[in-house]
Parts: sequence; C-alpha cells; structure tokens
Amino acid sequence: KKMTNDNLNKLLVFCVLFCAQKTSIVHGAQALETKVALLLHAEPENPKCFAEGMSDLTCFWEEDEERAGSADQYSFIYTYQNENSSECSITALPAAGGKRLYFCRLSQTQLFVPLDIRVFRDDLLIHNRSLFIEAVFLLDPPANLTLTSTGMQGQLKASWLPPSLKYMGDSMMYEVSYAMAGSHIGKVEEVQASSELILRGLQSGTKYKVRIRVKLDGISYSGYWSAWTDPVLMETMPGDLDPLIVSLSLIISLVLTLLSLLVLMSHRRFLLKKIWPIIPTPESKFQGLFKVYGGDFQEWLGHSTGGLWLRPTYFYSEEFPVPLEVLSEVSLGPALPSSALPPKASEALGEEEDEDKKLKRVDPALMEGWRKTPQEHWTMDQLRAIHQHPAPWTQSSLLESHDAYVTLNAQNHSVEEPLDDILEETLPLQVLFASGRTSSESRSDLGSVQQSSGSGRLSSQSSFEYPNHTWPSKGPGYTYMAVADSGVSMDYSPMSSNKIDDIGKGVIYTNEYKNEIPAHRRPIGTPIHFAF
Amino acid sequence: SKSELDFITHLIEKPSYWLEWWAGRGLPSPVRPICDPRVLDRFIMEARDTETALRGCKAGCGVTGTFVVPLTNVDFVVWETKDTEEQALEVQSGMSLFGQALGAVRESVSRVAVQILIDNNKSNIHSLGQVLRSLHIQDLPLPPAPAVGDLVTRKVSSLSELLHVHTNFLRGKVRLLLTNAPACQQNST
Repeated sequence: KKMTNDNLNKLLVFCVLFCAQKTSIVHGAQALETKVALLLHAEPENPKCFAEGMSDLTCFWEEDEERAGSADQYSFIYTYQNENSSECSITALPAAGGKRLYFCRLSQTQLFVPLDIRVFRDDLLIHNRSLFIEAVFLLDPPANLTLTSTGMQGQLKASWLPPSLKYMGDSMMYEVSYAMAGSHIGKVEEVQASSELILRGLQSGTKYKVRIRVKLDGISYSGYWSAWTDPVLMETMPGDLDPLIVSLSLIISLVLTLLSLLVLMSHRRFLLKKIWPIIPTPESKFQGLFKVYGGDFQEWLGHSTGGLWLRPTYFYSEEFPVPLEVLSEVSLGPALPSSALPPKASEALGEEEDEDKKLKRVDPALMEGWRKTPQEHWTMDQLRAIHQHPAPWTQSSLLESHDAYVTLNAQNHSVEEPLDDILEETLPLQVLFASGRTSSESRSDLGSVQQSSGSGRLSSQSSFEYPNHTWPSKGPGYTYMAVADSGVSMDYSPMSSNKIDDIGKGVIYTNEYKNEIPAHRRPIGTPIHFAF
Repeated sequence: SKSELDFITHLIEKPSYWLEWWAGRGLPSPVRPICDPRVLDRFIMEARDTETALRGCKAGCGVTGTFVVPLTNVDFVVWETKDTEEQALEVQSGMSLFGQALGAVRESVSRVAVQILIDNNKSNIHSLGQVLRSLHIQDLPLPPAPAVGDLVTRKVSSLSELLHVHTNFLRGKVRLLLTNAPACQQNST
C-alpha cells in the first residue's frame, strides 16, 4: 500500500510534467503497477519484459535501494537477430520494501525474431536474456465485463470486451472465475477466442461473483495471464421448484392422505353418525308396523299387543294422551243384540289396552250383536241394548252417514273423507282415532270438528273441553262416548222416548255440539276413556 | 474448418496433386477461401513439435551444410505499410526456400523417425501453398535465384536452427498474411 501510494504520487508528478491527460495517466500508472507486481511474481528471469501491444516492449528489473545506483549507471542494450545493437533509455522508480525499479521501454519492436537483451551497470553485465517478443505478452484485463441472465435456471451469461489487439483476437484465451458471493471457493472456466461465456450449473437465487483474465493461446503468440478484472456481482434467477423437492413433497402428501383415509375408515361409523345423523323412525315404537304390515295400522292394531295405546298423534303433537271417554247410559232400553258395531271397530275396541285407558271391555256378545245398520235410526231395541250394556261402542249406526269419524290408517286415505264425505248408512263406524292429519286442524284447540251443521253429526271433541271431566250434564239414559284426543267425542244422547221421537224425526243428537249441547243430555254412567 | 483440413489432408495423401503443383498447372483451387486460423495453427504446432523433437539430435542428426532461409522478423508498423501482394511475395518466397532446405535435409538424414518428421513438415509447406491459393494469392513464378530475397534471407547451418526459423516464419509472416488476406476479411465479423 505504501509502495502504491508512493509510486502513484511520483508517477503523477512525473507524468504531469510530460503528459497531458491526467486520467489516462492515473489508469496507466495503476495498470503498470499491477503488471509489475505480476511479473515480479511470474517471471524468474531478469530483466522482466512484457509487451502490451503490437509494437511495444517494456522491460524492468529490481534492485535493493541500498545497492541501487542511479539510472545513468545502467545501460540497456538490445539486439535483434542479424541486426545491430541498440540501446534503451532507463528510468528508475522507487518500489515498496526498499526496492528500486528500473524501466526500459521500446516503442518499435520486431516479432518472430529472437531479441537479445543485455543490461550493464557501469559496464558490468548484470542481466542477459534472449526472448521473442511475441511470447511475452501481458495484456490489460478485458473491459466491460457484464453478467446477464440467460432466462434459464442456474445460468448466467458473462460477456466482455476483448483487448483491442490487431491480428491477435483469435489467439486470445480467457479464464472466467466464478464463485458465490462471500465464498472463496470458486470454479474456473476457460474459453478461447470468444467474447462471452455461459456459466452453467449455478444455484438458483444466488448471488455470484465473476471475474475474468486473458492470455494469448501460445500457438503464434503467448505471454502471461493478465490481471483479474474487478469482480462483477449478479444474482441468478430464483429457483423453480426443485424436482426432487416436488417429488418428495408429493410422496409425503400421498402418505399423509393415505393415513388420514385409514383413520377415517376406521372411524367411519362415528363420523357418519355425526355428519349424517340417522333420521329417527317410529319403527321401534311400532314393532312390526312397517315391516310386517307395511304401515297398515289397522292390521297392526289387530295383531300387536303392545303399543296400541300410543296414539298416532303422539308423533305429531305434544298433546298428552287424552282419555277416551265412553259414557253409557244405564237407562237405555233392552239390549240390542242385533245391533253390532262394525267388526273392525269392535275388534279394535276389544283389543285396546293400555295402562292409561279406562276402557271397559266390550261385551263380545254385545259387540257381535252390533252390526252395520243401514237404517238411519236406532230402533228401540237397539237403544235398550245399548243402555243395558254400557259398553263402549262407537255408534256408527247412530252416527250414520253424517257422522264424522277418523280412521287410523297408515295411509290415512280415508282420514280426509270423514270430514265431509261421510255417507249414509253404509259408512261403518270405526274406531275413531284421530290422526294427526285429520285432526291437525283440531290439534291446536280442543279439537272440535264440526262436520256439518246438521244434526246427528258427530262432532269431534276432545275431552279438553271438559278439563275436569265436567261433562255437560246430561240426562239419564244418555250414552256418551267421547273419543279422546282425536277430538272426536261422540255423545250419544240417550234414547228417551223424547229422543226417539226426535230420532224418528231424524234428529239424533248423537253428538255433542259445540255450544249446542242439548240441555237434556245428561251424563250417565262412567266415562269410558280411550287413551292412545 | 474441418472441411478445409480434410481438403488439405487429401492433398497430402495424393502425390499427383503435387506433381501438378510443381508443373505449375495449378491444382484445382477450393471453392471457398480457407480462412480458419486453426489450419495454420496446426502447421505451426507440428513445426514446433518437430523442432523440439530434433533439438536433442546428436551431431545435428547427421545434417551438414548451410541452408538459405528467409528472415522471419515482423515489424508491424512496417508490415502494415506493405500491401498484400508484397506480403504474399515474402511469404511465398520464404516458403519455397524452406521447401528446398527441407528437401535437402531429407536426403541427408538416415534415421527413419527424423525422416518422417521432415516429410510431415514438407507436406505442411505444400498444403500452405494450397491455402494461399485459395485466398486468391497468385502463385509465384518460381524464382531460380531470388534476387528479391537477398534482403530477406540468411543462412543457417544446423537442422535445429533451420526448424526454428521455419517455425518462426510460419508464426509470423505466414500467419499475418493469412489472417489479413482480403478474401478472409469479407468473412470475418
């Protein structure tokens, strides 16, 4: 560093006196300094000579300051083959480390011919050397080293400007040194007679430091390696997904997917339960209703022993089971053996059982005696029979055509019908179980469904109307049958002579009308409840 | 280029071509000028290898006598002042001198290895002539005694020196002529 500074200062002073352009002087001085240092290292012979261009030669040698003489003490004699000798003027410059450099520069040279150099100090030969000038080239480093991207991964393109030497462009070889920025370990690539090179195999997204030097190839011209250019930095393109990483990631994700699938499969039931909960079905409550009887509730009722007490409306409303109350009139006339309930109803009635029900067993005999009565009116005998056997009987014959009834049926087709389509005599009176559909209208309230305004109609009424079983007072001899919950309550007015007359007139107060309770009706007997 | 090298190799392998060349009929010149510097570079390297191989030859490999060789020195400044024809004259006269000298050497050596090397160099000289011809450089009328060459010749007395001069001649003047031939200047970038 001290040598550099001293030399620079002295060169500057020296050149200011003799040269015009300062900038070129500074650069020239720097270049000279570099080359001298290079040759001192690379060339063992003295004097060390180098050619920078086509027609020049610079020779120098080094001496210790202590033993060094002045420049005029030395003489530099050079002789081309078959020519006379010539002398070169010597310049002395101080150097670092207590040394002194002596320079000689020739501005006109001959190549391809041996040159004989002799250095004398005070007529004493101190150096002797024979060389070919075309073999001692020491060029300036290439200029304008630039790095560009090739557009491909891990590549950089280095381009430079070759030294502008005529005749020698195709004899130049370059050495490109590249390393990752910050690293000292780099690679070197050689290229001949070219001004660009593509560096391959670089890491993506990394900054690289590249430098280059030049030398003649040695066939026609040869010399020493030039100094390295200043390093140029450039970052390579960011990396794409490394194929190895991509494949590894795929494998790992595949393995994870398989594992998760295994876990899911092993817990699928639990998960299915959570995601797709099972829709509750009433099958468990109605054993065999759907599987055996295909939903035919009537049949199922006839065959099952348990569960009859469950009203279908249980599933549709939250109403509590309402007891079916059948009131029988004791004071009715003789039994009416001929009258019979419809077989279905009788069977159903006969088989109803529940802990909640307060059903009185229908006298089978009586039930059998009942049959569909085409007549519209009760006969006196029938009425008497009813009276004597206070059995819960739904009086289809009483109700006849206009009576509304609700049939419990899985299909529930006929449910709609009873409301308005009740025909006359042929309509059997079936056990009335209000289905949710038919009595849905009546669900909200106490369920009084008024079928018609006509008399003799059965109005569906639930016992809610009479919360405390405060049935409207009815005269003795009245038979009541209140079908609970369906809202169908049948109130059979007892057949008194008065009523018979009424019946005969076609007015049968067989049911309770809302707000139309005949005053003469009197509750007789204990209500019989049907509870489903 | 490879095709050019193949052409020259073909020339070397067929002596009839050389007979024609000596007779001055002219060999069929290639269609394209041979401008690849690697062609001459190969000749230079083979001359250098021959020089290196025969440097340690004892007693000059048994070669005696003196040989007239051209001067090889090139002063670029001076060289550039000469036109192509003048340059070509120098080159071709020099090449013929070397051809003669190597012919004389070939006859005096007895070792087969040396003979092979000398033969190779002689072939290269002939091939160079073809290369020059491809560059539309006119053949020299073979001078019986190159009066022009007095200024540009000297004498050597050993085989190694002859070969050394031969190498320098190829590296210098011949190369300069070839690389700057006008026919090649059109092809160069």
